[in-house]
Amino acid sequence: MLSVRIKKRLGDGKRTAFMLDVSFTAGDGTTILFGASGSGKTTTLRLIAGILTPDDGKIALGEQVFFDASANVNTSVQKRRVGFVFQDYALFPHLTAEQNVAYGVKTGGKKERRERARELLALFGIEHTRRRLPREISGGEQQRTALARALASDPQIVLLDEPLSAVDMRTRARLIDEVDAAQRKSNIPFIYVTHNQAEAERIGRRIVVLSEGQIIEEREFDD
Amino acid sequence: MIWQAFKLSLLVVSISTVIVTVLGTAAAFLLAKRNFPGKELLDALLTLPLVLPPTVTGYYLIVLLGRRGFIGAYIYQLTGWTVAFTWQAAVLAATVLAIPLMVKAARAGLESVDPQYEIASYTLGKSEMETFFRVTLPLARRGVLAGIVLSFARALGEFGATLMLAGNIPGRTQTMPLAIYEAVASGEERNAQALALILTAVSVAAVYLTNKLNRSVVTG
Repeated sequence: MLSVRIKKRLGDGKRTAFMLDVSFTAGDGTTILFGASGSGKTTTLRLIAGILTPDDGKIALGEQVFFDASANVNTSVQKRRVGFVFQDYALFPHLTAEQNVAYGVKTGGKKERRERARELLALFGIEHTRRRLPREISGGEQQRTALARALASDPQIVLLDEPLSAVDMRTRARLIDEVDAAQRKSNIPFIYVTHNQAEAERIGRRIVVLSEGQIIEEREFDD
Repeated sequence: MIWQAFKLSLLVVSISTVIVTVLGTAAAFLLAKRNFPGKELLDALLTLPLVLPPTVTGYYLIVLLGRRGFIGAYIYQLTGWTVAFTWQAAVLAATVLAIPLMVKAARAGLESVDPQYEIASYTLGKSEMETFFRVTLPLARRGVLAGIVLSFARALGEFGATLMLAGNIPGRTQTMPLAIYEAVASGEERNAQALALILTAVSVAAVYLTNKLNRSVVTG
């Protein structure tokens, strides 16, 4: 169970451009963070991952405290063990698909890491891309590689930042099912950021709606 | 004379290029990716040898490191050794004069690396050090390589500061550019010609290489 209660002021020095103040919990399964662009979804995700630091509040995943302003705890990004899927994937452009995934694998020698990477690529049906660079594969394949890489690091939670916004409609429908299957198989919480209503309804079991830095609605879907 | 100067230049430039590559890349990294007090000052300090007349830079090096210099006096007191008029002085002069080119080129390369890749690496559990060597540096390699080539060429051609700090002692501190100067002054046309040809060839090769590196940055 992830519990989040954070405040973060964004702006340049004196002027506050944006005030984020959210608190919610996310259990196993996929939780959707839904809202228009500029509502604070991505910022929330980055605060959970430790890429940004909250001004106040507490973030905990089960027993592990990621951040606690009152106890002065701020676990580094590296130690939070989050799998992060970026909006534009952020696949390392100088590494092949297999090397990208192997980069995330934490245990074993070079050979074992490569084998694990190949397994993950096979799981997403893109083993054929393993020797290709990110720019040489399709958007859908890049998305799958990014998801495989996030899972390779043996995360305890996966954060996805509008992961399907760069792929076409047909691929999107297929990928939604794949993300869902990956969640069920790994059995860890997924937090999925989107501004697409259809996507939100199709994938999530629980939805948290953000607007201008505040949560305006929380709701469970029937499975 | 030619052979001696050639050997010395090769030694001086090899050592200074290694120093420039390590220190220059580290400084470029700090300037490109970190914020700290005194950043502007460091930037200015590292640009100065590019705009100052080399003899002035050489003069400051004497003031700082000469036998009676601010730091040099202590070194002389402690060890009885001074860097002035040694081949190491030629290395020092070449390093100081070449480092701005390394910093500029490497910094441009490092700044062109999208921070998103570094963040992605952190989320995969990698330390800042590992991220630098496995993600940032490979992605900035063309800028860094261009910096190495440019600073190599600059070090090879270094004249003014070397003359000030190291002097012009044949076989000890007389690098190729100094040997050319002396050959012309004493009417040894053929020696001057041979040395000038070597330096021209290296410079043309350096320009060709940096252009090639820069082009491949654009076309990916």
